[in-house]
Amino acid sequence: MRARPVFRGTELGHLVWVALLVGLGFVAVVGSEREQLTAAALAVPVAFVGIALALHFFLAFRGFRGDELLLPLALGLAAIGLVLVQRLAPAHLLPQQLTWAIIGGGAFVAAILVPRDLSVLSRYKYTWALAGIALLALPVLPGIGREINGARIWVGFGELLSFQPAEAVKVILVIFFAAYLEEHRELLARPPRRIGPVPIPPPPYLIPILLMWALAMGVMILQKDLGATLIFFGIFLAMLYLATGRAAYSVAGILMLIAGGWAASRVFEHVNARIVTWLAPFSDELRFGAGYQLVQGLFALGNAGLLGAGLGNGMPERIPVVWSDFVFTAFTEEVGFVGALALLALYLVLVFRGMAIAMRAPTPFLQLVAGGLSFALAFQTLVIVAGNAKLIPLTGVTLPFLSYGGSSLVTNFVIVALLLRISDVTMRVRGG
Amino acid sequence: MEVPYQVALWGVRLAFLLVLYLFLIRAFASLWRSLRVETELAARNALAYLIVQRTHATGPHVGERLPLRAVSAVGRDAANDVVINDEAASARHALIELTEGSWWIQDEGSTNGTVLNGSRLARRERLHDGDVVEIGRIGMRFEAFRA
Repeated sequence: MRARPVFRGTELGHLVWVALLVGLGFVAVVGSEREQLTAAALAVPVAFVGIALALHFFLAFRGFRGDELLLPLALGLAAIGLVLVQRLAPAHLLPQQLTWAIIGGGAFVAAILVPRDLSVLSRYKYTWALAGIALLALPVLPGIGREINGARIWVGFGELLSFQPAEAVKVILVIFFAAYLEEHRELLARPPRRIGPVPIPPPPYLIPILLMWALAMGVMILQKDLGATLIFFGIFLAMLYLATGRAAYSVAGILMLIAGGWAASRVFEHVNARIVTWLAPFSDELRFGAGYQLVQGLFALGNAGLLGAGLGNGMPERIPVVWSDFVFTAFTEEVGFVGALALLALYLVLVFRGMAIAMRAPTPFLQLVAGGLSFALAFQTLVIVAGNAKLIPLTGVTLPFLSYGGSSLVTNFVIVALLLRISDVTMRVRGG
Repeated sequence: MEVPYQVALWGVRLAFLLVLYLFLIRAFASLWRSLRVETELAARNALAYLIVQRTHATGPHVGERLPLRAVSAVGRDAANDVVINDEAASARHALIELTEGSWWIQDEGSTNGTVLNGSRLARRERLHDGDVVEIGRIGMRFEAFRA
């Protein structure tokens, strides 16, 4: 990479809005809590703007030519996330989240620098697959694995640090699938064999479909993590479709997932409980039990109206653990339909941009990586927002960039860094 | 003192929403601008077009102009200059090139063949303005660039 600095004007321009967003958000929230603003209360947004500028100038001084819209979008969402941690979470979580933002920025820088050549990622694909499975298995191991809120998806070292390996596994899976599907691309030319009217995919597609299905079921049963099950399998089916253009494979995969989920709900109580809670949260036995969180969330959404209660003026404390699973609901309650629409539109622009980067990428591998990562962001947003709104069973996945949580924030920054690098490669190849 | 404080607070809350929308609108504007630049760049470098006439549900739209360069590989693979999204197209299907002032098309050993004006290509053929090229289920009219 040439070291001559470039002016990234569009990016810098958008960052002004990000700074205003985090500043106004903190003033509104802190101002609603107590009637005077102290300098200490504004230290966090100032520090956040510092991180944002540091990342921008890091890219500019490296002469980075990639996309100028992704970083401001990601930081804008993270800014809203920080405002919401101040608003919703216990006080000691705010400095922690800021620390995670700094670590996320560090991970972003690292992912921009290493590896120097992105195509290296496709060379060690089975190492990636093994690393992914090992990471996934960590929480099941006694000693370091933790079960929090009924899901065994955490790894902890002492009381200090706990993280969810499943978040990082998302990125690893995307890289592995991209490398694998690229390798077996030439099979596309052949029509599938048929047994009666049912097309049977060639073994290089059939075997991973079955393995991934088994893995997803394993995550659901052993780790009780419905969210990760859905996300992993969804990413896989989407990438299979991106690579083959055959909707039939993905439809078959969805049917397999539904069948597996139905069977699991018959056998395992924790799966069944989720579905029962989803279908009838207002029933007498669930209203103040397992369905309480969802019901309170639905009331909050229903109360939001067009403009909401005003940032800092709502009643999010009525929803248990609102800062992790129900940020979308809490945000909507206070900024209304109008604010929620803008938030979802920000995700839309982010994902659209990611998909555009995928379409222009110079090699099939990079196209699949960019497409898979963009889809992962979109799908995860969909799963948790739809869960909050009771469109689908509630799963404990995070809202990208917004939910409280370190593993999620760091992973999403790495995703943005990878998308940026792919767009940078495209610009250099085209000489534009 | 109570009332002005509350008024100011509401001012900040509305300003937050306003900034959220301004940010969004600016982001959409950036998106729109880069899409337009992209289309113009593709069109400017084009020497000729294939204009889609017959297609299927997941293929390109009728009337879509696929820009051609001096040497354009055509096929289903994303690495081609002209990507034909059709299961009946081969990964590397055909080659269209401009040599010594005239356009030529040849089949690149595709499974289902390339059809020019209704007959299957056996060897390299001249390509004239208005010729119809069929690859898989996609039918396209060739249009040489006229300045």
